[in-house]
Amino acid sequence: MSFFSSLFGKKKSSDVAKDRLMMMLEYERASTKINNIDEMKKDIIDVIRKYVKVKDVNIKNHSNQDFEALELEIILDK
Amino acid sequence: MGKIITITSGKGGVGKSTTTANIATALAKEGKKVVAIDFDIGLRNLDMILGLENRIVYDVVDVMEGNCNLAQAVIKDKKTNGLHFIPASQTKDKDILDKDKVKKLLEDLKQEFDYVLVDSPAGIESGFEHSIFLADRAIIVTTPEISAVRDADRVIGIIDAKSQKAINGEEVEKHIVVNRIKPELVEKGDMLSVEDVLHILSLPLIGVVPDTEEIVSSTNLGEPIVHNEKSMAGEAFRRIAKRIEGEEIPLLDLKSNNGFFAKLKGLFK
Repeated sequence: MSFFSSLFGKKKSSDVAKDRLMMMLEYERASTKINNIDEMKKDIIDVIRKYVKVKDVNIKNHSNQDFEALELEIILDK
Repeated sequence: MGKIITITSGKGGVGKSTTTANIATALAKEGKKVVAIDFDIGLRNLDMILGLENRIVYDVVDVMEGNCNLAQAVIKDKKTNGLHFIPASQTKDKDILDKDKVKKLLEDLKQEFDYVLVDSPAGIESGFEHSIFLADRAIIVTTPEISAVRDADRVIGIIDAKSQKAINGEEVEKHIVVNRIKPELVEKGDMLSVEDVLHILSLPLIGVVPDTEEIVSSTNLGEPIVHNEKSMAGEAFRRIAKRIEGEEIPLLDLKSNNGFFAKLKGLFK
């Protein structure tokens, strides 16, 4: 979001489009890279459950020309 | 030995065939020997954009099935020296292409032409996979819309996973064409900018094509817009061809279209 649009509280539709795309693609990129991502997610949750109460695990992919990374977000159960 | 360039997009209707026709024509006008092949089996289109629909006798499936030899299926454009075309089959099933036959055809063409441009079908089914498998480089066409960008991203991922070069640990050179940009909408904040698209897709740009009405009439007439020396879109495609040839030329200055785009200073800096 640009400085001015945030200043006046109104988001431009192109900024909204960009944010929505980025969110969606982070998830989709991870799922194309790993064939059985849901299985992996389950396994990870099982492992973490041994130690803490976990609600969900989100896997995102961050990649560009130079690097590729998977980001795990572990959401704990309160 | 020529180069295979696949023009693809994921989403349909973003201008793949128009882009293929124009880059092919522009490269031929630069003195190269070019063949454009339509891989959209069952939904032939490139023939009409090139204005060659009345000259078709054999098609790409005929060659692969041995109903004719390669030379019989290649249509030579009379207007542009060096431009050749192989149509898609209109009657056959879209899953008829066979990996080995596609490979042989493309390798034969590579021997004879400087550039083999493959017009990929939309979607990510077998026809698409055949069209990217042997690509030396890929040009991904997108428009500044979320659905087109999302599909482009997916297609890029598949090229990186399933092309022969990728399987051999090499990289397919990939570039983006942002088609149908409307600078006045970008300015208002109601259209993704070229920078936004490149940032999201993390790939370099090879051309920006403005949304102009001339494209519609050029398709109506079956005369690629690159023949129109005054057209901005034509100039955009001519520059893409030059970049494919390795020339470093600046992006189209959309400001020079006096008045209309004039206030868009710095948009494509």
